[in-house]
Amino acid sequence: MSAFVPITSFVRSASCRLTWKGSPRVLQLLTPNPAGLTCVLAAGKKDLINLPVLVEDELEEQFVRGSGPGGQATNKTSNCVVLKHIPTGIVVKCHQTRSVDINRKRAREIMREKLDVAYKGDLSEVVLKKKESVLRKQEKRRKANENLERKRLFKDALAADSKPGSDTV
Amino acid sequence: MWTRLLSTSYYRCFECRSGGPKGIWRSRAVHTCSTPALPAGKITPLQAVSLWKRHFEENGVTEPEQSSQYIIAHLLGAKTIESLEQERLTQFLSREQTEQIWKLCTRRLSRMPVQYVIEEWDFRDLILKMRPPVFIPRPETEELVELVLTDLQMKNVSADAQHTCLEVGCGSGAISLSLLKSLPQLKAIALDQSQDAVDLTRENALRLGLQDRLQIHHIDVIKDAETLLRIIKPVSALVSNPPYLFSEDMASLEPEIFRFEDPAALDGGKDGLKVIKQVLTLAPQILSNHGRLYVEVDSRHPPLIRQWVEANVHALQFKETRHDITGRPRFCILQKE
Repeated sequence: MSAFVPITSFVRSASCRLTWKGSPRVLQLLTPNPAGLTCVLAAGKKDLINLPVLVEDELEEQFVRGSGPGGQATNKTSNCVVLKHIPTGIVVKCHQTRSVDINRKRAREIMREKLDVAYKGDLSEVVLKKKESVLRKQEKRRKANENLERKRLFKDALAADSKPGSDTV
Repeated sequence: MWTRLLSTSYYRCFECRSGGPKGIWRSRAVHTCSTPALPAGKITPLQAVSLWKRHFEENGVTEPEQSSQYIIAHLLGAKTIESLEQERLTQFLSREQTEQIWKLCTRRLSRMPVQYVIEEWDFRDLILKMRPPVFIPRPETEELVELVLTDLQMKNVSADAQHTCLEVGCGSGAISLSLLKSLPQLKAIALDQSQDAVDLTRENALRLGLQDRLQIHHIDVIKDAETLLRIIKPVSALVSNPPYLFSEDMASLEPEIFRFEDPAALDGGKDGLKVIKQVLTLAPQILSNHGRLYVEVDSRHPPLIRQWVEANVHALQFKETRHDITGRPRFCILQKE
């Protein structure tokens, strides 16, 4: 499941093509928005190249598997993964699936995002994506209002035309 | 109008403790311990989880909370309770949903593994159908697949190179299907001495659309060794999670296992090495030169296997032992010279 960010006017203005062959490429566009700020847009899978790389030695992993012999002798279903980043103390808990392997991988993806926020604050991918999404929503709202306004004016104009002798200002 | 289960309709609990080989077949007749009455009014998923957690605890069912959560999440169309929105968890369940929850949770009361109760489970990025008595894949085995994948990817399993892997004891098909999913150019041959396992593997292969690259054979690697060697060509990789428990350990297995899973998928004989030794013996004839054998074993096995191979299978070289996520020695990798 790729976190595909629909790119509308930005893509058209930058005239780039997105290709999805093999692993989705990360598309980054630096483009000045109306307010004059620069936005970094990223499209593709969650493992964006700008996220910090994890060092396994700095991680502590914990999952319940019991003290017995393990393997075929046990059938425990607890496969929640708890991942701790020792230097920062950040803890990620993941129980999205029933596969330990996948939960471990997802926990690491989430950890990378959290570390990104911790290290870069406002410049982290997560925060930037949020800002970009807020801006897009504002843009949408503005356009919607514009459309409504235009329709209203058109309606008024029609109404004025259809009433002979009325004042048209 | 659905009738409310009265206390007079509680069943007696038939604890099926016969540990003999046929014991598991009688588990079908195990009646439920005191199923709680269906609630008169509406309840939310969270309330259902709480209710059944308590009920499992009262009846000595292991992993009471997880069992309850997995079953209810499954009925709500999710894998885990954590992946559901809080909003959904506090919305009332329909009558049908509630009855379904009661039906499934009641199965768990007989210590039926959750995987059999909901008839599916995850293995790496696959969802596999589960059905007793076919062996339920363990989390450790996901790592076995990673080991094989790493090596095969290095060997460059590309469009040019046709690689085939053979799996002994495929069970539900977890290992083979997982490899096929991750390596689109790979072909696989899966064997099992159990017809139930062969059938389930076929079913899973079809569900995942991987049947074109998978051959499945109902073969006992000990009894039908000659047949096996006749029908296959040398392969690049031989993978197995064979029965490796010591016979004496079979008696102390938890009810989830001894009542419901095929003992033939678990019992490796006195030293747990019965099937492993046969796989090691046949490996040089199954593998192409420099082909590798990856086998999941009991933690006590690696040094024993190394010794035995050095003395008995000169064409095989013991390469390394790898540990599982819990730190136990779990996988042996050997290579054909």
